[in-house]
Amino acid sequence: MIPNYYQFYCPVKILSGHQAVSNIPFEMELLGCKKAMLVTDKGVVDAGLIDIVKTAFADSDREIGYIFDEVPQDSSNRIVNKLAKLFVKEKCDCFLAVGGGSSMDTAKGANVVVSEGSDDLLKLQGVENITKDLKPMIAIPTTAGTGSEVTKAAVVYNEEENVKMAFLSDKLYPDVAVIDPRMTLSLPPKMTAATGMDALTHAIEAYTCLQKNPIDDVFAKVAIDLIRRYLVRATEDGKDKEARIGMANAALLAGIAFSNSNVGMVHSLAHASGSVCHVPHGVANAILLPWVLEYNLDEVPEYIAEISGALGSSVEYLEPRDQGQVTISLVRNLLTRLNQVSGLPTRLSDAGVTEDDLPAIAQAAINDGAHTYNPRDLTYDVALETLKKAF
Amino acid sequence: MDIDIQKGMARIRGIPNYPVIQSKAKYALLDISLSTLAAAFEEVAKRVPEFKAEIAGWNDGRRFAVGVLPKGPYITLEKRGDMTHYLGKGLLSPDVTFLFKNLDSGVLVFTGLMSSHQAVAECRALVKGNIGYAMELNRALAIVETYLFPGIILKRIFKEPPKLSSAQLITKGKVYGALLPALIRQMV
Repeated sequence: MIPNYYQFYCPVKILSGHQAVSNIPFEMELLGCKKAMLVTDKGVVDAGLIDIVKTAFADSDREIGYIFDEVPQDSSNRIVNKLAKLFVKEKCDCFLAVGGGSSMDTAKGANVVVSEGSDDLLKLQGVENITKDLKPMIAIPTTAGTGSEVTKAAVVYNEEENVKMAFLSDKLYPDVAVIDPRMTLSLPPKMTAATGMDALTHAIEAYTCLQKNPIDDVFAKVAIDLIRRYLVRATEDGKDKEARIGMANAALLAGIAFSNSNVGMVHSLAHASGSVCHVPHGVANAILLPWVLEYNLDEVPEYIAEISGALGSSVEYLEPRDQGQVTISLVRNLLTRLNQVSGLPTRLSDAGVTEDDLPAIAQAAINDGAHTYNPRDLTYDVALETLKKAF
Repeated sequence: MDIDIQKGMARIRGIPNYPVIQSKAKYALLDISLSTLAAAFEEVAKRVPEFKAEIAGWNDGRRFAVGVLPKGPYITLEKRGDMTHYLGKGLLSPDVTFLFKNLDSGVLVFTGLMSSHQAVAECRALVKGNIGYAMELNRALAIVETYLFPGIILKRIFKEPPKLSSAQLITKGKVYGALLPALIRQMV
């Protein structure tokens, strides 16, 4: 399908593979930077991953000016504003985000505050509201899911209003994404499974929602194919370097796809589940994805059917609706397999959600912007019904 | 026939200052459309219970605007009690704003040729301000559009077109009846 109109943009330089981290000081030189603000979380520090980055700087005239390791599971406006102040105080000239989506989005948020000369991120939320050029940013993912290393999005938790805020701007693309297999080897099985399902959700929503386009379709399909090959392998054996680099690339490709094609209703429900019950984003996406595909099947059966091949369907191609059901079954099978090998929850009730929470999640979901791009409407009743099915 | 049309269009494009005239015509069309939308927001708020329910959770004094970049036209409205009040043309300190990137994109949506969600999907429109407010405004706007546009356009612009009851159709008639006097009041 050729859309009536579409846009595609991805200005990120990608370094992927063996010892990619070692090239960071050289990339900083190309970017004209000398002193990096390293943004990470305590889990990444404890796993020894920052030592790999520090080693890369050992024989360089570039330096890590400050290590900010206070990023929580869900980045917040308070943490972003604190980081922005530190960046200025420490006279850093670029951001080096090492971690999952939260670390990268915290760095993006702080970069916006610093570059816009603002004192509060809340004043700048929305779409394309960032006008100033941002400081250079290098992103090193330690999970394979968020894709934030190649996206123009940042999601930050608003502590005052208890909602996740979305920031979308072409200025938010990092300058460099560094995919080094060493950085994801220590990811525990359950988190490997959850973040991998996050990447799968990015790819499938990019392929099936309203902003899909031929360029992103390519990225999305290859991402789905890599996830089929490597997600279970990486979850079963975290030291499998081929599977790790495969999943890191899958997450990156899915990130490029959804940065341009956007996501849909799964993400609205997952953001809301995160805001209300603090369900990890990947876990919520994994649980909700098959239920939302079922809801969307009537509207976009061809698109849902078309990804069955990338997911490993060996069934002779059926009518779109039936083939779409094959896709949904394959997603469910993957989720079940990941549950067996890692304990990834398959129901919201296993992920810390109570039945009493469902109305609040439904209400938060309809105010989330992601479902604008969903092929079918997300009303309060639809949200509640879907959540009940997934409960 | 096609060649005749093309020749006719070429003649029209050859009129001196055609780009300026075309741009002014589009601006005028959007100015009238936005004024009508503002009036519809006020009249629907007076009569439609589901609209009142939708804005019940909004903070009093919340301002929202709709307009076209870079030079307008724009309209700004404000929520007070269970009503929405038109404050006037221009961007009057809105909390959330729907903006079309250019006149052509605005014309596509306001003539019913394209839905607002399709305009967003095609990167023709953007939001400034709180995304949660924008989603709430979008639902309120959908109710206004339901009472403003005829069924044939609703089928085109909604993902799932609403089905109106007899009582709602009568209300729609009343909204239509009130729109012209409201527009005249705006001008006076």
